[in-house]
Amino acid sequence: MTRNRSIILAPAVALGSYSLLLFHAFSSLGEFGSYRKNVVRQMVRVGVDSLPIVALAAAFSGAVTTVQTAYQLVSPFIPKSIIGAIVVPSMILELGAVVTGFILAGRVGARIAAELGTMRVTEQIDALEAMGLNSIGYLIVPRVIAGVVMFPVLYIAASFIGIAGGLFVGHAGGFVPAGEFIDGAREFFQPFDPVFGLIKSFVFGFIITSISCFKGYNTLGGAEGVGLATTQAAVISCVYILIADLALAATLL
Amino acid sequence: MIRVENLYKSFDGRPVLTDVSLEIPEGHTMAIIGRSGSGKSVLMKHVIGLLRPDRGRVTVDGVDIGRIPYGELRQVRRQFGVLFQGGALFDSMDSFENVAFPLRTFTSMTDVEIRREVEDCLAMVDLSGVGPKMPADLSGGMRKRVALARAVALRPRYIIYDEPTSGLDPETSNTIDVLIRDLAERLSVTSIVVTHDMHSVLSIADRAAFIFEGRMHWVGTIDEMHASTDETLRAFVKANEYQIGMPHAPDLP
Amino acid sequence: MKHSNELKVGLSIITAAIIFILGVRFFEDLPLFETTYTLETEFDNAAGLIAGNVVRVNGVGVGSIDDVYINPENNRVRVRFHVDREVPVRQGSHTVVSGFDALGVVRMDVVLGSADSAKVPVGGFIPSREQADLLGSLSEKAPVLIDRMDGALAQLTSVLETTRSMLDDPDGDARQALASMRGSVGTLDAMLRAERDRISSILEEVDGITSGLNRAMGPDGDSLAATVANMNAVMARLDQTLLTLDATASGVNELLDKVNRGEGTIGLLVNDPGLYHRTDSLLGSLDALLVDFRANPGRYLKEMRLVDLF
Repeated sequence: MTRNRSIILAPAVALGSYSLLLFHAFSSLGEFGSYRKNVVRQMVRVGVDSLPIVALAAAFSGAVTTVQTAYQLVSPFIPKSIIGAIVVPSMILELGAVVTGFILAGRVGARIAAELGTMRVTEQIDALEAMGLNSIGYLIVPRVIAGVVMFPVLYIAASFIGIAGGLFVGHAGGFVPAGEFIDGAREFFQPFDPVFGLIKSFVFGFIITSISCFKGYNTLGGAEGVGLATTQAAVISCVYILIADLALAATLL
Repeated sequence: MIRVENLYKSFDGRPVLTDVSLEIPEGHTMAIIGRSGSGKSVLMKHVIGLLRPDRGRVTVDGVDIGRIPYGELRQVRRQFGVLFQGGALFDSMDSFENVAFPLRTFTSMTDVEIRREVEDCLAMVDLSGVGPKMPADLSGGMRKRVALARAVALRPRYIIYDEPTSGLDPETSNTIDVLIRDLAERLSVTSIVVTHDMHSVLSIADRAAFIFEGRMHWVGTIDEMHASTDETLRAFVKANEYQIGMPHAPDLP
Repeated sequence: MKHSNELKVGLSIITAAIIFILGVRFFEDLPLFETTYTLETEFDNAAGLIAGNVVRVNGVGVGSIDDVYINPENNRVRVRFHVDREVPVRQGSHTVVSGFDALGVVRMDVVLGSADSAKVPVGGFIPSREQADLLGSLSEKAPVLIDRMDGALAQLTSVLETTRSMLDDPDGDARQALASMRGSVGTLDAMLRAERDRISSILEEVDGITSGLNRAMGPDGDSLAATVANMNAVMARLDQTLLTLDATASGVNELLDKVNRGEGTIGLLVNDPGLYHRTDSLLGSLDALLVDFRANPGRYLKEMRLVDLF
């Protein structure tokens, strides 16, 4: 909380307080029993309620990938099954997790930051503390757990719906028959791909929820502070999703 | 018994409280008065350990709450009920759940017991029947009364009021003042009222502490305050009376 | 209300887990449910058979290889595989490894036993047989062999056409060569019937072409660029070869006359089985290679996955 943070030290200070906040939150896991109801509520909000928008985005990304791949493959030398071989791993490896990540950074990240930010500026967090509750644990742990549990669920839904969307558009649009699409996908299928996607979605879920909690919990000022925290939560989550995406691809692939 | 000794606190290098000592004896109602920004709320937050002192100490029943581990601090806090400035009701819950929240969290009462207890508390603040209403649907005065019901739900030994009448019309302010006085008698609690509203002070407190420029400028009973010749204190008291236009203001020499 | 939250979460997690498991199995080409049964067999030489290879019955894919390992008891290759439940593998069935290792299209054929014998139980053992003896069946295969050669060369022609059309600088020589080659096929066909000495020399030339192609598309030639480059070299050689073919074409006319007179019969073919063994496997390989390349260029174009673009 010192004012004279140098440009070099500021990120280190931010990382430090972020880590401490999470440490504080998860060192209260012993009280998990009292968070349980909250965890379920957050899971519904993060996961179940996000399903429609994630499904919509995934269906369209699958469809668009199919159409564009078909458009790029003009050579008669290359069989159409290649479209399936490109669309399916694309969804599983990258689009399923990243599209879901971006949507949830906007939808879930912003909501968490706004919620906690408002609680902060209206002293609801102080009220929790004054009652003798561990506000960090009570507010942050359920949200982060909901993120890391429900995000992989959304990723699976997104991959499934995206592939189905690609398959449907490819077949109905006359780009590639469904059978060839699936044959191509099978030929190049790597069992590690969906595992990698799951790992990614797990990490993304953690990134989005924890960063948004951090931003929201430490909101300063009134309505403006809440607005700032909300924007920052969404933007920073997106940036760190991209960074984590690259880091995971570089280390695990 | 709450005792504040030589409290010093600064934010970003700017001192807010420089040397504050105060003793709040059991069973009394102590008003902490002073101009906006004089550090009243900062002092209040030290008393429940939401802030930790830079120097000096705050003891509750002999326990130095600025130095004890977080877990023990939370135990101490459960003896406090706090009415925050805006009420700080949890806006995700209805009024009933707000009052029930500390009971659900810290007691092992059954649902039936909780229901009876919450209804008692709401009756105490003359709000029987508002249980199903959400905080957003309540007026400012009602919100504070629900918050007061929540603050007393665990039958605390100490109740802290942060600007209980600010932002309310004079009539509602009166209602709140009456409530505070009643509660003090019925529950025989020690109360701390942080306010700049002299009308409140005169109707509910038996002692006052005047903070001026970060220091404890004057402490005494209400009678002593009337008799005080301290220019700064007199100026503050007079300004307040004039502003409110209090019809039955005590005659000051 | 209180319960419906838990229910929603639980149901979505369970659904996701089911989709994940079934989806992975689906794309791995494993059966989604237990509609197959496992069998075992043993070979002296698995010829490159690996887990995931197709198991066929009469040319129809009915399952896949699960595991290939050396049986420590007898140092033979133990192969575990599964086939669809509807396929009645009965006593007296046997397995054969087939396909072409260099192209990675190894598979296992199950030759079914007679319909009236008992079914092999789940986990049961089926004996294997080595690839059928080519020499023994050669005489009856000779006409088929010639057809295959014809077909293979026709395929080569069309592949080269396609290749040429993809090249920036169409090769006039190649076009000519292909034309003459197509013409030569008929001649060659007749020639084969006529006299084996001549055929022998021609086939040696074809052998050269094929091994060139093999080098181009064997295990090392897995990029399109390299393949096309190699193809160019092969085409240059083809050109030369076909000149020789042309030169012999006139001789073929004489041969045809001889055939008409009844000299030189198909029976002569079996007099030199070595030649025909080589011809058969060579043309079979070429055929398989070309068919596979046309059907699955993706196999040679692994780098073209666009996945990493995202």
